[in-house]
Order: sequence, then C-alpha cells, then structure tokens
Amino acid sequence: MTTQTKLMTAEELFKMPDDNWRYELVRGELRQMPFNGMLHGSTTARILVSLTNYVESKGLGSVYMTGTGFILGRDPDHVRAPDASFVSRDREQDTEFYFEGAPDLVVEVISPDELYFDAEEKIFDWLESGTRMVIVVLLSSEMNNNRYIVKVYRSHKHLRILTEEDTLDGGDVVPGWTMPVKDIFS
Amino acid sequence: MTTQTKLMTAEELFDMPDDGYHRYELVRGELRTMAPPGAYHGKSATRVGRPLADHVDENNLGEVYIGEIGFRIGSNPDHVRAPDVAFVRREREDEVGETHGYFPGPPDLAIEVISPYDIYREVDEKVQDWLDAGTRMVIVINPRRREVRVHTPLADTVILTPGDTLDGGDVVPGWTIPVSRVFP
Repeated sequence: MTTQTKLMTAEELFKMPDDNWRYELVRGELRQMPFNGMLHGSTTARILVSLTNYVESKGLGSVYMTGTGFILGRDPDHVRAPDASFVSRDREQDTEFYFEGAPDLVVEVISPDELYFDAEEKIFDWLESGTRMVIVVLLSSEMNNNRYIVKVYRSHKHLRILTEEDTLDGGDVVPGWTMPVKDIFS
Repeated sequence: MTTQTKLMTAEELFDMPDDGYHRYELVRGELRTMAPPGAYHGKSATRVGRPLADHVDENNLGEVYIGEIGFRIGSNPDHVRAPDVAFVRREREDEVGETHGYFPGPPDLAIEVISPYDIYREVDEKVQDWLDAGTRMVIVINPRRREVRVHTPLADTVILTPGDTLDGGDVVPGWTIPVSRVFP
C-alpha cells in the first residue's frame, strides 16, 4: 500500500494565513522552520547590511532578506527561503509573489544543532537550481572555541573554506564586494 | 560568574574503563561522546579503508588505522581526535616507534564518513582540527549524496562524485579508487 500525500503548491503556500510560523515547501511538502536565535539573526544582519550597501551603491541588483521565497521547482512545487540572497539586475522580477527560479547568490547561516545531511541538502538544492555562489556561515560560539568558518560553494564540485584571517569575495557574482570574515562574526 | 569545567587529559581518557557502549573524543580537554556508527557508515569506511591498506602494505608506505583510533593532536588542553580511517607514512611511524596510548601527532591522511546524526558544524570543525594539526589530506565521505570531499591545506576543497576517481596525490603516492566503489 502506498500513502498518498496531498502536495501543496507554491500559490497555496503564498496564500496561507499567517500563523506566526515560517514554512518552506520541500518538493510539495510543507516544512516548518524554527525561529532563528539571536546569534543567527545578528550574524545574518551584518552580512545583509554589507551586501545591501554594496549592491545598491553599484546598482547591481536586489538583495532579499531572510525568509524570501524562491521557487526552485514545479510539480512538486519546491520553495526554499534562504537567510539572505541576491538577484542580479538583469534577472529581477517585478512581483509580489515568490521569485521564479534561483537567486544568483545565497547566504545560509547554519545553526549549531543543524544536521550535516539536512544542511547539505539545502545547499545543493540551491547549487543544482542555478545559484552561482552559496555562502555558508557556521555560527561561532564558545562551544566551538569561537572558531570562524565560512564555506563558499561555487559549484557542486568545488568549494573554498575561509577562516579568521580570510576575506569573503563576491567573485563574478557580486563583483567587487568583499567582507573580512572577522566582520561577519563580530 | 564563569563556569569552571575540569578538563580531562589524554591519559585519563585512555585509562577510562570501557563501558562497552560509548566512544569518546577529547576536544580541547572536553569529553565528547560519539554515537556508534550504523552499518552503512561501516561499509563505506571499509570499502575505502581496505584498498587503502592493501596499497600501503604492498608499497611499504606506512600504516593504515581503521576504526576510530585516537590521535593526540594537542596538549594542555589535551586534544584527541579519532578518524574512521587514518594513514601515517613510514618515516613518521619509524620516528614514533612503538606507542602505548594514542598516536602522538596527526595522521597524514584522515578519512571521515558522515552519519545521519552528525552535526554540520562539528564535521567542519574536525576537518579544520586535522588540517591545523598538520594532516595533509582529509577525505569526507557523504553516503547520502554519494560524494567524496577532498580537503588539503591551502587549496580549495574538491567534491568528487561517481564517475570521478579519488587520488592519494603526494600523501599516498600511487593510490587511486573510483568514487563509485566507495558506496555500497
């Protein structure tokens, strides 16, 4: 016997009444997302400010804050919401609805208890949908000796690990944008 | 108020009675429990560890350790990490001689297989701990995605998938294995 689950569409997700929770639609299945903690929020905010200031000053496109939905697939509908994202000017869409497609750049801040397989699934959903750069920030705390680790995925075959002394670079995705790793964490 | 945690030493860890259930690492003086790996995990570790051991033996390149053997990579606070598979080259083996307790220093190659309950951050921390300690290659196997990551100091991480071949480079000269053979 197979179980038939009724799958939800991106349109249905968008029209859902606000119940104070956040959701993603992972291949048609509604997935509740926990609220982020303070460290997660402040770390994301620092990146958003730096990225937004740069992108706007150069007119490169738009930066979207935490929780903005991107439709990565249809039937089953697949809607993901990263911590921060950037869409280049030539790909911008004028809509109140979710973005159809993947952003050019995604930032994912990984909470201390997030499982390896879950985080990697999310990262590869972006890469396989066409996102050209995924910046993965591992939250730093006393638990990990206040170690700073940032991982920059440029494709599903290649990534670079940055630590304390390194500087994040927007490469050809956000040309000219740089942010010292230290500034992400404090 | 700060909390004072009493730190454990590598010797205390080594002398701990075996409770037959838990396995431990000592991360900068703090005891960390490792869940026993599942069957699938074990298969991937064996599938890469056995051909590695054969190659190393045939060419007398050093020693291969399979099954989470402790390597002491820091002192005061003591730091003992255990990879799923490890390789130490001949010169270093000879230099160290016979040891009781944990291997003093890092392996040249450490191989880690990801389990379903592994925490994302802890995996990357462990990779960095190996590289910081002087390990020249860290291989991370992800059975869920059927991929193999190769971390080396000062170079970008390469993600290999079935169709690619894993190569021991100058760390395990002459050793290669098709990525498809790593996964059951």
